[in-house]
Amino acid sequence: MATNYKFKKVKAGRDHIADNFHNALSLSDMAQHAHISPYHFLRVFKDTYGETPNEFLIRLRVAHAKKLLITENHSVSEICEHVGYSSLGSFSSLFLKQTGMAPTLYRRKLWALSAEPFCFPAQAIPACYARHFLGK
Amino acid sequence: MITSIAHATIYVLNQDEALDFYKNKLGFEIGDDMKVEGGFRWLTVYPKSNSQLQLVLAEPKEGPMFNKEAAEKIRSLIAEGAFGAGVFETENCQQTYEELVAKGVEFIQPPTEQLYGVEAMGLDNSGNWFSLVQR
Repeated sequence: MATNYKFKKVKAGRDHIADNFHNALSLSDMAQHAHISPYHFLRVFKDTYGETPNEFLIRLRVAHAKKLLITENHSVSEICEHVGYSSLGSFSSLFLKQTGMAPTLYRRKLWALSAEPFCFPAQAIPACYARHFLGK
Repeated sequence: MITSIAHATIYVLNQDEALDFYKNKLGFEIGDDMKVEGGFRWLTVYPKSNSQLQLVLAEPKEGPMFNKEAAEKIRSLIAEGAFGAGVFETENCQQTYEELVAKGVEFIQPPTEQLYGVEAMGLDNSGNWFSLVQR
């Protein structure tokens, strides 16, 4: 774990990622907000949070894309742009790698499970909660 | 190996009012606010700088898990302050405490030195306690 002083710096960089994940972000952008060198930022970030800044960025983007795919009727390329990717190809392959499904298949599967269009299907929230509150 | 906690539940009396409190008073961000088929509202919030653990704001309602009597019992226990939302960390307990008091948040204990840091204890607008800790 980083010292308190270091932690504040790396947290500033992390906040910057969380606030701007839908924009293009480079490691040097992130490190600049933390006022540390990119290499050092990468190392301290990984030590502190257990994932690299880029892994964190991808996690936020994929989570947001999943939500948009289920609840909005935007095209996949619109969603790709919305979560900060300029290339549809790299977004699709990244999404596939993270979730095991292509974005269109993910949408089709989840929409098929919901009784109403653009309504979150119970299967999209953790099953323990669905079971607890909906009896599913 | 379990690597992290993703969701923890806090029961609230009214999701709209709780959201207003956690968002506008405590400064949390909305994780998910989704209508789920079956009439359930999936509502999660998290402190701005860390979305890894999200608090699920849930209303105890009559349903598969609770019968009417149990749901009512839980609601009255919430209002009595039987449940807690847990410990929220802050960089400066005194400063955060003052900011929250200015916003009208009720505290049952002002910032106090403890072995593990400085801690204040407040109440959310349902009656759940939460702790503000500076380590």
